[in-house]
Amino acid sequence: MICDILIKYNDLYKEMLRILDRKQLADGIFFSKITDGRYKTNRISITFYTDFKDEQRADYAILPYILTDSCRKYPNLTRLTEKYSDLYGASVSDNLGCSFDSRSMTFSISCIDDRYTLEGERLEQECCELLLDCLLDPKTEGDGFEKETVDIMRQELIDAIASVKGDKRCYAAQQGAMAAFPGEPCGLPANGTIEQAQAVTPQSAYTAWKEMLRHGRIEIFAAGCSDFSVSERILSERLSGISRGDVYPLSPKVSTLKPDVFRTVENCQMQQAILRMYFKAPKMTDRYAGALLSLILGGMSTSRFFTNIREKQSLCYYCSSYSNRFKKTITVYAGVDPANLAKTERAVMTEFMNICMKGVTEEELEHAKLDLTENARAVYDSAGAISSWYSSQITDPEMLTPEKFIEGVKQVTAQRVMEACRLYSLDTVYTLSPEEVR
Amino acid sequence: MLEEIISERLGERYYKYTHSSGVTVLLYPMKGYSTVTAQFSVKFGSVDNCYRVDGGSPVHIPDGTAHYLEHKLFESPEKEAFQRFAETGASCNAGTSYDSTRYYFSCSSNFEKNLEILLDFVQSPYFTPENVEKERGIITQEITMYLDSPGWRVCMELYKGMFKNNPVRNDIAGTPESIALITDKLLYDVYDAFYNPSNMYLCIAGNFDLESAVEVCERCLRPGKAMNVLSVAADEPPQVIARRMEMSMPLGKTTFAVGFKSPVYSGRSMTEEYIYRTLMNDTAVGASTEFYRRMRDSGLINETFESSIMMGRGFFIPGIFGESDEPDRVAEEVCREFRRLRNCPPSKEAFLRAKKYLYGDNVRMYNNVESVAQNLSDAALTGTSAFDYAELAANADYEGMLSRLAEFDESNFCLSIINPTED
Repeated sequence: MICDILIKYNDLYKEMLRILDRKQLADGIFFSKITDGRYKTNRISITFYTDFKDEQRADYAILPYILTDSCRKYPNLTRLTEKYSDLYGASVSDNLGCSFDSRSMTFSISCIDDRYTLEGERLEQECCELLLDCLLDPKTEGDGFEKETVDIMRQELIDAIASVKGDKRCYAAQQGAMAAFPGEPCGLPANGTIEQAQAVTPQSAYTAWKEMLRHGRIEIFAAGCSDFSVSERILSERLSGISRGDVYPLSPKVSTLKPDVFRTVENCQMQQAILRMYFKAPKMTDRYAGALLSLILGGMSTSRFFTNIREKQSLCYYCSSYSNRFKKTITVYAGVDPANLAKTERAVMTEFMNICMKGVTEEELEHAKLDLTENARAVYDSAGAISSWYSSQITDPEMLTPEKFIEGVKQVTAQRVMEACRLYSLDTVYTLSPEEVR
Repeated sequence: MLEEIISERLGERYYKYTHSSGVTVLLYPMKGYSTVTAQFSVKFGSVDNCYRVDGGSPVHIPDGTAHYLEHKLFESPEKEAFQRFAETGASCNAGTSYDSTRYYFSCSSNFEKNLEILLDFVQSPYFTPENVEKERGIITQEITMYLDSPGWRVCMELYKGMFKNNPVRNDIAGTPESIALITDKLLYDVYDAFYNPSNMYLCIAGNFDLESAVEVCERCLRPGKAMNVLSVAADEPPQVIARRMEMSMPLGKTTFAVGFKSPVYSGRSMTEEYIYRTLMNDTAVGASTEFYRRMRDSGLINETFESSIMMGRGFFIPGIFGESDEPDRVAEEVCREFRRLRNCPPSKEAFLRAKKYLYGDNVRMYNNVESVAQNLSDAALTGTSAFDYAELAANADYEGMLSRLAEFDESNFCLSIINPTED
């Protein structure tokens, strides 16, 4: 009996620990943690959300290169990488993108738990300090970063911008977004242009860094088996030393639907054409129905695109879709034989029309709900995934646990999915195609 | 019946048993996790393009057959496997590599039902002239998709330059011409030869009940015809057949790959060799070396520069990859550095750091259900223990790395280059 009670208490305790613990550390600086004994690692990520000004794209984009290359304490990549090795491969990684119509720049570090070290080292504290050393204490010269470092990193940024051209799917996604979202931050490549990168100076990058620290909304997520009390103390102490003011407000905006469908074709020497179609529904309010609609169309292995366009018509190897609940869009993408481009586009439109006119079956709705439910539950199995789950909700009035989200999914009816589909209109068709079909 | 395999070092354990059919079953319960991943694998990949059954004559099959078979196994006269998994909510897929084919699902509920479906569809081939024909267009598009990937092409060209006869030089999915030769009968023949239970491995990791898993295996694994299938290895000269391969594609910067032709390993010695060679590369040209910094500071390489080892049944290829305007010079500098280090080896401190990095990376893997299942399958297919890597990495010694460095033949390499096409 006592044993049963203990087991139940233990289970309840574990459940409680999984719950997000979130607090504000300072003006515009939020700290969220999830402690879960299943993990063997501890992960801390710090995201800076800043204004996505076109002209400053490259000045910001070079920052991850500079800040993860060295810092005052570890003054070159060799010393910094040696430190990573001492920390059992706990390197600082970065991710630059666009979220909530702002620039998001995430720096994260993940270390194995102290239980697994070979010599009993204590890693979490050191990793937290190292992450902050990189972000807050880089090598500077007056009001700029070191010229030599900037010269090298500028070239690396230029290489990265140029290399997108080699990855056709990535390039098509970039060019398609530019066509679909003109004037919106998500329509601009976060790295900027080669010309912008060439114009980066030690001072312009330094100014961007200072702005990021002073005005950026800062979101810290800690997930792992630790209770992160040590990290919280270190973060509070060191971040309180930053001069803060005019914190950038996050306000995601709905994408505007163009009055007429915009079509653009780009030619490139390649074997397979890539079709990207952007559908927008500015009046969409039903996030659950929107997510299910995208799955039913092209987000699962029994989707309409997979079944009817790939399997029945053999038009392509992949034809899929994904939705963005903030922009209220569904993006469809397919790799097809150039000769089948028009046929594939018609087939995609037919699937949309069929749902608008005839709705979805109870069976496919159930499959989509199961798919969404399984994916929501799975986020608990990764410290990175659970952090992403909550960080995608920082502008929402309420942060939903996976369980709460699943409850919302379960309420959706076939009627709601059909109504959601009727709100979408085709906005942009972007095609990247081999030169010979020009 | 269940053999328990324990790692004291990691505090981890899994269970192994051989089903009466001959299928090897590895079970790795991970308490507290939400999901479970099961992989049903067969030791049959693209390199198995010539085989003998029970000592008979060699049978040659078209390139891409293993991959084609993987696609078609989801087919059924009733409900397709995808449809059946959709009813349970599991996500399922499959993949063909050079030396194996794996069918897998991940789920957070209905585990037993999903396992039944996995075992059933992999053991129930259904090939018809019509459904085999239907797949040809889809696979042709898949092959075409990879032709547009510089990362894939630079490796394929590298293997073509390195190997004369080793089938690793052929694309896993074959070519439009080779897959045109594949028929329903051929797929049945190949299925009968390779998909026999003693050539198959079921590996499950995550949140599942051990007894339930065994019960489903006992009920659903079917006895197969005992067959002795042997892949016929091609004779391969020890030297690369070309020093340089070059082509052009639209891309931003020249991409290159350097592959060093090496002896082939198997089982635990392949894992051990992988660990020592990785340590050797990390301490010689890795990101924490002065060499790397000098190369990067001079602009000869950028952050894409990395060393890695591609390995599998019948091939072991230490390689260097990256982007550079002067790939020939990069290859020269790398070789020169290896020669220099033979007389002036990396320090023991550098070795210990690299070892910690490697070991930490492996521990991190145990955080992830899918990675654990993948690791379990890798171990099963190579006849090793899933904990060998952590143990070998923790026990790797400096002298072992130095001996690899002394033996390394850096001159036996091929350089594959893809230049940007002129706009």
